[in-house]
Amino acid sequence: MITGAQTATTRIVPKVNEPVDPVFRQIRDLVYKVCGIFQLEEKLYLMADACGRRMKQVGIRTPREYWDLLTAHSSREAELRQLLNEITIGETCLFRSQPQLDALRKIILPELVQEKTKQVMKRLRIWSAGCSTGEESYTLAMNMLEESERLLKGWTVEILATDLNDRSVEAAKAGIYGDYALRSTTDYFKRKYFVPVDEKKLQVRPEVKKLVTFSRLNLQDDSRMLFMKGMDLVFCCNVLIYFDGPSKSKVIDHFFSNLNFGGYFFLGTSESLMKLNDNFHLVHFPGTIAYWKPSLKSGKL
Amino acid sequence: MTTVSAAIIRERVKNIETTPSIPAVFLPLLKLLNAPPEDVRLEEVVKLVSYDNTIAAQCLRVASSPLFGLAKSPESIKGAVLTLGLRKVETILLTCCLGQAFPSRQWALDPAVFWRHSLGCAMVCRKFSEKIGAHDHDKAYMAGLLHDIGFAVNCQAFATEFGKAVKHALQEQIPLNEAEHDIMGFTHCESGRALAEKWHLADDIIQVIAYHHAPDLSHAAQPLVALVHLSDLLCRMRGLGYGYYERHKADLLHNPAWAVLQQGHRELENVDLVRFTFELDEAVGEVFALVMTIFGTTAA
Repeated sequence: MITGAQTATTRIVPKVNEPVDPVFRQIRDLVYKVCGIFQLEEKLYLMADACGRRMKQVGIRTPREYWDLLTAHSSREAELRQLLNEITIGETCLFRSQPQLDALRKIILPELVQEKTKQVMKRLRIWSAGCSTGEESYTLAMNMLEESERLLKGWTVEILATDLNDRSVEAAKAGIYGDYALRSTTDYFKRKYFVPVDEKKLQVRPEVKKLVTFSRLNLQDDSRMLFMKGMDLVFCCNVLIYFDGPSKSKVIDHFFSNLNFGGYFFLGTSESLMKLNDNFHLVHFPGTIAYWKPSLKSGKL
Repeated sequence: MTTVSAAIIRERVKNIETTPSIPAVFLPLLKLLNAPPEDVRLEEVVKLVSYDNTIAAQCLRVASSPLFGLAKSPESIKGAVLTLGLRKVETILLTCCLGQAFPSRQWALDPAVFWRHSLGCAMVCRKFSEKIGAHDHDKAYMAGLLHDIGFAVNCQAFATEFGKAVKHALQEQIPLNEAEHDIMGFTHCESGRALAEKWHLADDIIQVIAYHHAPDLSHAAQPLVALVHLSDLLCRMRGLGYGYYERHKADLLHNPAWAVLQQGHRELENVDLVRFTFELDEAVGEVFALVMTIFGTTAA
């Protein structure tokens, strides 16, 4: 299947700058309310486009009829899941969110390093939860390697990357990517951290792979979640949107206890926790949002 | 660090060369802005706009811009005022007047970036004010528009020192007010206050200008100061800052200003800050376009 964003302009329903049927705005609000993922007004045509693809597949003609399908008791859960697949398709690529990476390297890492500097073990643990085919995990690894001679000199970095899907985990381990996944990767990173496998594909170098441990994990498996301790950073992008309220809340509680004090939790760029956990502090960095587990420094300990 | 006394700041502000060239419509306009919207008469606004050729031309140009999607450009001032609506006319007037009061040659800051932040903050203040059901959204808008006026003062009255402060902020990626404090020993809050007092701006606006970086020090209009403080932070975190990367983390919900706002506005409890942030992103493009229209291609 061809990925969404590439072909968006050739598809049915509105193009950029064309008025969008108000029903799509209603669908946008529904998706936010149920799943916590928000589509900007200017990207509403992408939402309309995703709906259009679904409408075609299920043989529905009008947005209003599609709204009925999305809200009818019998079909809503399954259809919403299908729609989310369409919305997030093509979202995964390396270096997907530069503001997240900037916040990480310019603000968070210096803060964590300073806070942990008195510890005997200079170790940083990062978890990419729902790592899909490894794009995010390797992006983090490369950025950590960039800091290895500066901020992180003498530090050990471990990146744990997990996904529910075995096939994704296998593909992630191989670390081979084409143009589309590499569309936001600069030549600098391509040259430094990849080797060509054929004319069109690049593979991440062994020194990058060495930082990442991939494994299969179900985020709803409570007993295994309890073992994921001592994290400094957790990234979980476009995964929780598929969970219902109670399971989402449970997973977020797990993430909170998995994190060290002073650690950070990142969601996808248009996702929100929607007040599902009062313990995390919502913090703004330039161009990005994260959730912070307050450090003990200011507390009584 | 040098310590500059309030007296010296006042003295320099008094001597800003360009201050006498403030357009004649400016002060009547401020009065108009302070009046409740239902008391504003359209003819009065048209008269004010027509009074100054530059401003009249500016209004016509903005009204004809694709931003407003009109099939036919308005030909008269009245047409432009009707097309734009009072709110936009106010914005344009105030911006043009301030733009004229502070000619942008030799600014240490890019004036387009300065106006983008000011207009952006004004917009966020209004939206925020509406969201929490505050009673005077226009006041909030004006407070946002004027909160950083001290930067314009610094560009004129303290050009060399302020130039160094801007350079320092860019190099260290720290907030501008911290850099000002490090290099100059005072900030745009003090110089802005001196100008605001000289202009006899309303006391609540003076409080905003003086304390938007330290809302806990304000002794009047605290909710308004808190609102501008939070809106300013949001702007800087969402692409409407001063055009450089600020190494800054903002915990708005645990900011004392949030608690101040919450005292008077229970609605704040129900505000989904993440969604509000996303909604603001949608307006960023509009602010860029507006500044582009007002300042032409000089916008960086």
